[in-house]
Amino acid sequence: MGLIDKNLSLRNRRKLILGIFDDEDKLMDASSALVHEGVHIQDVYTPYPVHGLDRIIGVKRSNLSVVAFLCGLTGFSLACLMIWYMYVYDWPMNIGNKPERFTPSWIPIMFESTVLCTAYGMGFFFFIRNRLLHGIQPELLHDRQTDDTMVICIETGDGVNESKIVDIMRSKGATEVRERNGGVQTTI
Amino acid sequence: MVTGGKTATDVTRDISRPILNKPSTSWKVGFTLSLVFLGIFVASLFWTLWTGIGVWNINKSVMWGWDITNFVWWVGIGHAGTLISAILLLFRQKWRMSINRSAEAMTIFAVICAAMFPVFHMGRVWVGYWALPLPNAFGSLWVNFNSPLLWDVFAISTYFSVSLLFWYIGLIPDIATIRDKVKGKYEKFFYRFFSMGWTGSTRTWARYELVSLILAGLSTPLVLSVHTIVSTDFATSVVPGWHTTIFPPYFVAGAIFSGFGMVATLLIVARKVMNYENYITIGHLDAMTKIIMLTGSLVGIAYLTELFIAWYSGVQYEQYAFMNRATGPYWWAYWSMMSCNVIAPQVFWFKWARTTPWFIFMMSIVVNVGMWFERFVIIVTSLHRDYLPSSWVMYSGSLTEVGLFLGTFGIFFTCFFLFAKFLPVINMSEVKTILRNRE
Repeated sequence: MGLIDKNLSLRNRRKLILGIFDDEDKLMDASSALVHEGVHIQDVYTPYPVHGLDRIIGVKRSNLSVVAFLCGLTGFSLACLMIWYMYVYDWPMNIGNKPERFTPSWIPIMFESTVLCTAYGMGFFFFIRNRLLHGIQPELLHDRQTDDTMVICIETGDGVNESKIVDIMRSKGATEVRERNGGVQTTI
Repeated sequence: MVTGGKTATDVTRDISRPILNKPSTSWKVGFTLSLVFLGIFVASLFWTLWTGIGVWNINKSVMWGWDITNFVWWVGIGHAGTLISAILLLFRQKWRMSINRSAEAMTIFAVICAAMFPVFHMGRVWVGYWALPLPNAFGSLWVNFNSPLLWDVFAISTYFSVSLLFWYIGLIPDIATIRDKVKGKYEKFFYRFFSMGWTGSTRTWARYELVSLILAGLSTPLVLSVHTIVSTDFATSVVPGWHTTIFPPYFVAGAIFSGFGMVATLLIVARKVMNYENYITIGHLDAMTKIIMLTGSLVGIAYLTELFIAWYSGVQYEQYAFMNRATGPYWWAYWSMMSCNVIAPQVFWFKWARTTPWFIFMMSIVVNVGMWFERFVIIVTSLHRDYLPSSWVMYSGSLTEVGLFLGTFGIFFTCFFLFAKFLPVINMSEVKTILRNRE
């Protein structure tokens, strides 16, 4: 598994069928029906998170929480190492005869460092995994997909019954069904 | 939670209106006024740096005055943002969705304002990097990890960085919405740059929600740690009135109290000026005032506990510190604090008080004034009468100190007006999920 989620890119897809919806319930019904019929849904684009949709289309649970834990462990270890090196090893300081070995007074900095590394490490991996990069051109399928419109995107190929997909989308309340071939969209 | 039968289309239209249209007259007036205050900040800061911090009235007894009062006050205000977005997210309180964006923005701007004071209190600000754990020219001398002032450096910078990340990740979907609406070449470039190619893919949304949840889980102990650490600046000292174990919870409650005060101040104006009454409803104000009342009462209990423990400890210095607060030369500050923070919020037991915007606005100002006095009382009344009567002094802020404080309002509101013009002040993508209360 590569670091970047390849499923997110639409650039080299041969032919796509797009179901345009304006209602969340209809979208969910259509997605369930399509999956039930054995159709692989490439992705669904929604202007807001639709809960449960990821499970319907078979998105695996992300490992970001594991990444977050590892980043936190790194932050904690770095803080321990830093304090030990500076305060115990390199230049021990006697201030008010306080102990120079581990003391509870080190905990705040260890905690802050853990939180900082977890947040930024996880944030960084989140951006990479989702192909989120400053300034890149978004691959939009509909000009209102970040506003009020939802798009089911299905990649067609050999052995895919296109007319069945179109029928299901229409019967479940799609406002429009389109086909994208070589970057050009046409209404079916 | 959202009234007026709004649809997703309406939400986008309403929330992006200030960004897509030309600035309104009220925005221009407000922004200009903020710039005037920003000018006051620049002038006061210039005078402080040019002459030295001798232009402040702090002295060897009262070595912390308006500066640290303002620092703690602004940091406290910064707490409501993370509380609303993180703790209320973990508790699945959906009413936070209309107000979290602006509260998070407020957090970031308030922390910037707060940081000004300890940084410039250093005097020689150009050696401010000595506060960081860097090797320096004096051999291998490092920072003191036992000092709460160093914990503060780590806590405030972590808090600022993590809040900024949390705020930005939450903004990306909405920036993408604006990106697909704007027409101008530069606007398109700006929003495209910051939207990071967001398309609203379900795969991304699933990870986005997970990241938000983990960030909320991280921010919750973080927000508690920050004001705990600020309180240890005082509590680890041996100054009567500061050396108390109640400080961490007491400061955290006070921070949430003042933070919600400021959120209420800003949002009551914003909902009126920007016509967001259907998004920031009376129900939101009602919920916020209940939190204000709860935290105000917690702070009140802390005040009384402090008095009791001072008496119960049998330590005459502790007893004197508190007697001096209530009846000494700064009695007016103490009783302002008591009446604004403990007595005044009790009015929110009445439904009318919780649901009348102009009244909540007035009360939010009272809360903010009260919390400023709390920090002033803690700092100045504890310091101004030292163990030796020869070190007894009176303190009042100089014109430069007052100017710096007023000036931070310039920083805060300049940032806030720019935010309100260029970014959506309400989280559109989250609000769209609660338009229909589906079970």
